[in-house]
Amino acid sequence: MSPQEFLSTAILLGVFVACAGCYGLLYTLARLRLSHVLMSMAYGAYLLQGVATVILLTQTSLAVVWKLLLVASFLIYAGIPPVTWRHLERTHQPVGHQS
Amino acid sequence: MYKSQQLALKYFAASLFVFGLLVVAGLLAAIYYVKFGFLLGVLDFSVAKMLHINALIISLLMGFLGAIYWFLPDELGQETVGIALAHLLFYVLCLAVGIVVVVYIFVQYGGSDQFAMWFINQGRKYVEAPRWASIGIFVVLCTLAYNIAATALRARKITGVIGVLIAAMVPLTLVYLFAFPAITNMSVDLYWWWWLVHMWVEATWEIIIGCILALSLMKLLDTPRRIVEIWLYLEVGLVLGTGILGLGHHYFWIGTPAYWLSIGGVFSALEPLPLLGMVVHAIYDAGKHQMKTTNKPAFYWLLAEAFGNFIGAGVWGFMMTLPQINLFSHGTQWTVSHGHFAFYGAYVTGILAVVYIAVQNWRQIGEVTGNAWKWAFAFLNLGMIGMVGGLLISGMAQSFYERALGGSTLEAFMAGQSNPWFMQGMYARLGFGIMFAVGFVILVYDLGRMVRKGRALPPRNVAA
Amino acid sequence: MPEQTDPIFSGAQDPRFWRDGAISTTAVMLIVLALLTIDSLDVIAAGGANVPAYTVINQEIGYEFDSDKSMWMPTIGEEQLLFGQKYDAAGAEAMMDKAKLVIQSRNCINCHTFFGNGAYYGPDLTKAWLDPVWEKMWIPMTQSKTREEAMVKFLMHPDRYPTWARQMPNLGINEEEARAVTAYQKWMSSVHTNGFPAGFGNRQEQR
Repeated sequence: MSPQEFLSTAILLGVFVACAGCYGLLYTLARLRLSHVLMSMAYGAYLLQGVATVILLTQTSLAVVWKLLLVASFLIYAGIPPVTWRHLERTHQPVGHQS
Repeated sequence: MYKSQQLALKYFAASLFVFGLLVVAGLLAAIYYVKFGFLLGVLDFSVAKMLHINALIISLLMGFLGAIYWFLPDELGQETVGIALAHLLFYVLCLAVGIVVVVYIFVQYGGSDQFAMWFINQGRKYVEAPRWASIGIFVVLCTLAYNIAATALRARKITGVIGVLIAAMVPLTLVYLFAFPAITNMSVDLYWWWWLVHMWVEATWEIIIGCILALSLMKLLDTPRRIVEIWLYLEVGLVLGTGILGLGHHYFWIGTPAYWLSIGGVFSALEPLPLLGMVVHAIYDAGKHQMKTTNKPAFYWLLAEAFGNFIGAGVWGFMMTLPQINLFSHGTQWTVSHGHFAFYGAYVTGILAVVYIAVQNWRQIGEVTGNAWKWAFAFLNLGMIGMVGGLLISGMAQSFYERALGGSTLEAFMAGQSNPWFMQGMYARLGFGIMFAVGFVILVYDLGRMVRKGRALPPRNVAA
Repeated sequence: MPEQTDPIFSGAQDPRFWRDGAISTTAVMLIVLALLTIDSLDVIAAGGANVPAYTVINQEIGYEFDSDKSMWMPTIGEEQLLFGQKYDAAGAEAMMDKAKLVIQSRNCINCHTFFGNGAYYGPDLTKAWLDPVWEKMWIPMTQSKTREEAMVKFLMHPDRYPTWARQMPNLGINEEEARAVTAYQKWMSSVHTNGFPAGFGNRQEQR
């Protein structure tokens, strides 16, 4: 990995996670406020994460195993906000039997 | 008020005092980078740095102890068992910390013998404290474990949170034993040393702060116990599931086998995933409660915890955790940037939230008011973001010029350290460090204002 | 909703489900860690696969790029005595024990890094023994004949050889201690560190 490539790859990896953070943040706000605008922004952030993933896959010399890991975690990130939200809604519902 | 809670307040005060020491030593350490020859031969960089990171460990430990002694009696509905011993040990610990600091500053170095290890300084990062003082810390931790377990036994009650807390005491005390040996082989020495540092910071402490935050949420937002426990268990599973083998990211370059590159890379790449869940959770809580709480500062510090943890540990960590990147970024100011952000985001913010909750309860303040806490919140957070930003730029310049381009020799190191980008980052760090210090002063002022304001909670006359 | 009848989802309402999950995950991870630790300790013991025995200080040490493994690897060559002496296993180990106590008592790790761990005010010492700067600058400056002699002189009186604005303080290291630390540096440079630091001392060859 060349020095220039090393720096840009590191920054892209940071952007990759930061986009996921924005997606989670905006997604939750959108659900809370029932806002379509916020929700489209959330998907926009996730799309940006996808762009970062594509650049990381095609333009960097990260080893194949890390590229696979990036794709896998990109897909998992998609599910985290909705799954967490569902789980939160479910646990906050009162249930019959308190354990 | 329980005696345990009186002890908690003392621990909080001591924790804040030591945090002040941390800030002073940190500012000093920042000056060495911009003013060449600063205090050379009087108080060398190594001493300031040692004070800075030891103050971090002691301040956070005292914060944890305070938080546990605060919540324990309420949670179990009875005075903490063995609280007199814990009180005594608090004073012993403070005295020991004072002696160690004086020895660090005025004695500094010993000869290459066991005497230096026992009485001056062990020279192992984070656990420099001489062995006699380390024994003291070990005894304090064991007493805490005894207090919790004995109180639960006496109360004939174990809640989920207390169960997790008791379980966490086992690794907390056991891995601290790695603070004592002086193993000749550096690879083996670092292998075990990481068991201590990683298992504390990225596993056990995460569990302890998780328990503390769970107890805080029940107090602050009246979140039902069942929900809090589900999330605590989930967090424990995720933190330990990714964190135990996340240890591997410290085993890339110390002589350990190459399989650690894959294991460390994979597990630390998974670490941001649960942190994103925490961000979603925090915003959910904030939204559902419409920010309605009688303790806004505590609430905001809890939010800062979720975001700080995600950005500091998640984003900053992921940037440099893959071995191909870490080969160049490891052991540079980039690491420093990540370390500051992660410690602050994961622990300092959480402890500050608990301190606000405790002071509110203690002084029986209906609603925490005033603006000082907002200034403290802004200055501390902006100061920290500015510091880690400056350090990140310095670290990138260092990794690029010294490591990737220069091949890591002394000459490459010098070239990196005098690079304009590096130096600008260092000036920025010092400037924002001063901002952080101002924020800390405002924070202490605000807490002092609250302490003077209300009426103290009357003591309870219950048998311990 | 099919999820309502799904046992996992209804079980998810019960904290015990999550508690058991956390316990079993932790247990599995701890077992894996224990197994890996047994193997790793074998590899990093002095004389193990990655960490040469201390008597390696009697030999020449280098650092080269291995294109098969695509990483930088230490090389161990012909006999090259340190301080003109050949150390036996016991003698070498005694020296290393001494050196480690010097390193700890003088708090080296709070300015320098070893294998990249420590503080970042001074240079990394992982491969310091192999630094071309010894031949280029320190041997002439200390009027020494060998690298080890220059290293000993520097460690004993770093304040006499200021070469740069950031200077090492005099830590009262005596000659015996300085010789031990020099030997330790030579041994440490022979440890296989998975290629860290990359390209040490070879700025032309970039990968």
